[in-house]
Amino acid sequence: MKLSIRPIWSLTGSSFAFTIALCLPASAQQKPNRAVAIDGSTVFKQKCASCHGDKAQGGPGYQKPLVGTRTIAELSSFIKQSMPPGPKKCPPSEAEPVATFLYDTYYSAIAQEKNRPARVTLARLTVKQFRNAVADLIGGFHPIVPLDAKNGLRAEYYKSRGFNFKERVIERTDSSINFNFGSNGPTEGTYDPRFFSILWQGSVMAPDTGEYEFVVKSEHAIQFFFNGEAKPLIDGMTRSGNQTEYRSTIFLLGGRAYPIRLDFHKANQGVDDTEKQKAKPAGPASVALLWRRPKLAVEPIPNRFLFNRTIRPTYVCQTPFPPDDRSIGYERGSDVSKEWDEATTSAAIEAANFAASRLPTVAGVPDNDGQRADKLKAYCRQFVQRAFRCPIDSALERTFVAKQFENAHSLEGAVKRVILFTLKSPRFLYREIGTSKKDAFFAASQLSFSLWDSLPDPELMKAAESGALVTKEQITQQADRMIENPRSWSKLQSFLMAWMKVDEVPDIVKSSKTFPDFDTSTANDLRSSFEIYLESTAWSKSSDFKELMTSPTVYLNGRLAKLYGVPLPSDAPFQSVPLDQDKRSGLITQPYILSKYAYLETSSPIHRGVIIVRSLLGRTLQPPPSAFAPTPPSLHPEWTTRERISNQTKPDACNSCHGMINPLGFTLEGFDAIGRWRKSESGKPIDTTGNYLARSGKLAKFANSAELARYIAESDEGQYAFVEKLFQHLVKQPVLAYGPRMLPNLAQSFADNRYSIRKLMAEIAVSSAKSQQPANR
Amino acid sequence: MSTGKSRREFIRDMGLGAAMLPFVSNLPGVLDLQKPTRKQRLIILFSPDGIVPTTFWPDSVGPYFDLKGSLKPLEAFKKQTLILNGVSDRIRGDGDGHMRGIGCLLTGTELFPGNVQGGSDTPAGWSSGISIDQEIKNFLQKSLGTRTRFGSLEFGVMVPDHADTWTRMCYAGPNKPIAPIDDPYQMFGKLYGQLKDQESLKSILDDLKDDLAKVRSQIGTEDRKLLDEHTALVRDMEKDILSARTTDIGHAVPVIEPGVRRDNDNIPKISKLQIDLMVSSFVADSARVATLQYTNSVGQARFTWLGIKEGQHDLSHEPDSNKDAQEKLTRINEWYCQQLAYLAQRLKETKEPDGSGSLLDNTLIVWTNELGQGNSHTLDNIPFVLVGGGAGFDMGRSLKFSNAPHNRLLMSIAHGFGHRIEKFGNPNFCGDGLLTGLKL
Repeated sequence: MKLSIRPIWSLTGSSFAFTIALCLPASAQQKPNRAVAIDGSTVFKQKCASCHGDKAQGGPGYQKPLVGTRTIAELSSFIKQSMPPGPKKCPPSEAEPVATFLYDTYYSAIAQEKNRPARVTLARLTVKQFRNAVADLIGGFHPIVPLDAKNGLRAEYYKSRGFNFKERVIERTDSSINFNFGSNGPTEGTYDPRFFSILWQGSVMAPDTGEYEFVVKSEHAIQFFFNGEAKPLIDGMTRSGNQTEYRSTIFLLGGRAYPIRLDFHKANQGVDDTEKQKAKPAGPASVALLWRRPKLAVEPIPNRFLFNRTIRPTYVCQTPFPPDDRSIGYERGSDVSKEWDEATTSAAIEAANFAASRLPTVAGVPDNDGQRADKLKAYCRQFVQRAFRCPIDSALERTFVAKQFENAHSLEGAVKRVILFTLKSPRFLYREIGTSKKDAFFAASQLSFSLWDSLPDPELMKAAESGALVTKEQITQQADRMIENPRSWSKLQSFLMAWMKVDEVPDIVKSSKTFPDFDTSTANDLRSSFEIYLESTAWSKSSDFKELMTSPTVYLNGRLAKLYGVPLPSDAPFQSVPLDQDKRSGLITQPYILSKYAYLETSSPIHRGVIIVRSLLGRTLQPPPSAFAPTPPSLHPEWTTRERISNQTKPDACNSCHGMINPLGFTLEGFDAIGRWRKSESGKPIDTTGNYLARSGKLAKFANSAELARYIAESDEGQYAFVEKLFQHLVKQPVLAYGPRMLPNLAQSFADNRYSIRKLMAEIAVSSAKSQQPANR
Repeated sequence: MSTGKSRREFIRDMGLGAAMLPFVSNLPGVLDLQKPTRKQRLIILFSPDGIVPTTFWPDSVGPYFDLKGSLKPLEAFKKQTLILNGVSDRIRGDGDGHMRGIGCLLTGTELFPGNVQGGSDTPAGWSSGISIDQEIKNFLQKSLGTRTRFGSLEFGVMVPDHADTWTRMCYAGPNKPIAPIDDPYQMFGKLYGQLKDQESLKSILDDLKDDLAKVRSQIGTEDRKLLDEHTALVRDMEKDILSARTTDIGHAVPVIEPGVRRDNDNIPKISKLQIDLMVSSFVADSARVATLQYTNSVGQARFTWLGIKEGQHDLSHEPDSNKDAQEKLTRINEWYCQQLAYLAQRLKETKEPDGSGSLLDNTLIVWTNELGQGNSHTLDNIPFVLVGGGAGFDMGRSLKFSNAPHNRLLMSIAHGFGHRIEKFGNPNFCGDGLLTGLKL
């Protein structure tokens, strides 16, 4: 299982150093290249296994496992001379292949490591888990999106220079902020076009973790308040010179909403000059609130990320962390490093300083409270228990709370020490240590980290304390409650993005010659289109895996509609459109995915094939034996992409992998480099036929990508791959560590629940919470 | 509830990732690679609303001058004092007198047009140029020998909590006003937060090591390796902290009076705290440039501790004939001058760490104001009272100029710090070069 797979090819527009060939390991199941070659595994099976066991683990003839430190040459020479016992020795032509097979598969240290049974290993919190846990510890466990909210922002329009309640004209919800009033007042209501003001309030959802740039554009006085801070993030009350654009960057934790407020005043500041201005004609006025999401282009903040309710602020740890290990395909906390340790120290200091300087809001203890010391101590005790995800005994309470209060010079100093110590403790930092025994608190922690990447919320802790988290039914009941929380969607969304390998937000660039209308805003819109598709399928009521894999739906806005040939007004918001009737089928035909897995000008059946093989069918591929530059299309302009790729990957060394990759990728040849449907290429009709040799040995044939999509959705291979990858993303441990029955059982329950992804997530969380032994036992 | 700072500012201010590193630039060994030069420092003090000319300016010029009225507190520093009469802020353009008064005072250039309407004139925005303190800071930060951790520190006392033309004196560049820090505890955090954090960290280290050992004993042998690596990292951190403490040049973190609220009647206490912190920051060589801004232009502090009930700005509008008001304004400016004298005193009694005299010998304090006089809103005869040997001027004199543009003084200060610029701010006011006679 532990293969380190680092793709070395890339699709970013700037680099042409692509390598395209892929090759399976020599020991894998492909057909031998030469009929005469002797297969070591066959020899072993026929001539060695009867004595040594079928996995060289020891057998009736020789009990000890075949492991050691000899080289292949030494093994080979030993086999020639001594194996099998008796006069008839192994023929020299077979000795080397069988020695090589034995060495690679069972004998060598690396082979032994590979064959070691998977187990649940001690792991620290991932960076995402650390950030979420600290946010919830410091900020309290308040909802991460506003409840009962509609999309948009609450707007109050005033016919006065400032927000004079008596002068309020209307109150309404604005879908987003991008207004040009010209020399007039707002259209709804009556205003003096020289003086009016608008107050927008609500919350904004940050979909990803990273640096966000907020941009306010206006030629009048504005202030933008963020995340409950008294000081504005952007202060444009004093406007000066020709500056009409104000920017500020802030690091945000993804999957959470933040309270915002934008003030707009069409009026000079300072001394009231109303009378003076009345003699003059009204000037123009406009105001827009934009942002730049991490690695995306500046755009007006879309309606779907705005809410008309103000949420409580969130504490966001600003300390940068080194990335987690994801060498086996998912982020996990399997290692510690100096950089990581320093980051946890800085983050702990940051959180401690933040909390200690705002005790009235963070701890809920006013500075003038008569029992301030006792109340702060109680807050700290609670803090430690929440951080450790279990009640603390008197010894721990003494160490973590009482002692710190005794030794600090001030109460603020004591709280600071408690928080610093708690956040540096292994009981907080490691996932399987926090709870002291296999019990309800362990299950609570397991559930919340699996579904939310964070600590148990108060309700879950209460269930654990009151003995209501023991039976599978009780745990399931909690999981069913938790799955409805937007945190679960946030986690599933991050899985889907990682699964399709777009979590790093690829830089999608296309040739301006071939696709003159494709620019950075197109790439932005395509990402939005994909996000909306995921949410509307994977997170719908039915949350149906098959729908995710086969739905014909595509979401386009006015700009994309023009590019993809759908009649929509140019300013139309995103909506489900009938695009290329019958041609679109699920995830793999989403324009965003097709554009990502393509070159600047041409499609890339290889990249499309590889993502299908690896992610959707769950098979492993080794990188190509050496780097190859793709054949430039200009070399044979008369060839189709299919012909060109087939020609280049014809050699046996390539074909062992490409025999699997290409026929899958070819089914998507009906879509060009930006995912538009096409019927011909280079004057020839498009051939979308393809096939796949399943693990069972059965050859599946597809007329087009719709048939392939259906195959993935319906087949055991597609379903098992999804279940296994989702399990690993949620639990952050290999599924085999939970026994050989875990995966088939989950796949069966997936089917029993009509392929509901939500139910599968809950089932995964419950199963791992119920069956896992804490690592420290 | 986020910090409201940008991530980069935060990391920079916190010195994150290196919470245990010493302030590298403080290490004598690093700085003294350059040829030994004295550590020149600049402080600009700002008080608002003009002065009373008759009780402020000395009657005579030259080395034999009298200190009367508002300037009496400088008696002890007469030999280190240089009084410049007849230097005018000649910048015109958008904005009322108070706005241009503070916005052009250190920038020597016009305000941009904008939306802040004053009591008269046209509305204006921010200044269109960098201020002299930042210009000199940037110059000093360019060379290794004069570079410090912060370069400059912007102190304030009761500066109103809104950013507009009247509340900003320092500019990092056109349209880039710098907010002064008027909360001494915030300034303390900026200066000593890292050291405090190290102390907190150190205080829990032993407990943390014990905790790691306890947890380790509860873990299966297969998983101990990870925790052992973690324990080793904690030991590394401990070593880093200990070595950082021994290489720190060892000036004690000042203990400051706790719990002084941001409140009009606490202005004297806040002023003292800020001056003490400023002197500490110079001892630690955290900055070579500092500004201290009392309230704002149009400042309306109520000097209740002097028995004055009216706000300063209201008083400053009273005509010359109102003797009571002029007497009060004289005492108000005398109080500001006492702050200047306290600062000079603290610098004088603080020896340079290398033993080469006092901080005052190497510091130039410039006390100034946005107006020449409050009731006329004139920008002529702006008060410029200089104390200390920082710029190499010949002190102990009172000089009189004839409506000399203040740009020439700003250039002269820059030259005093080795920054030989030929113009600063609006070049039309720089033609006559440096202000003559500052050096004999």
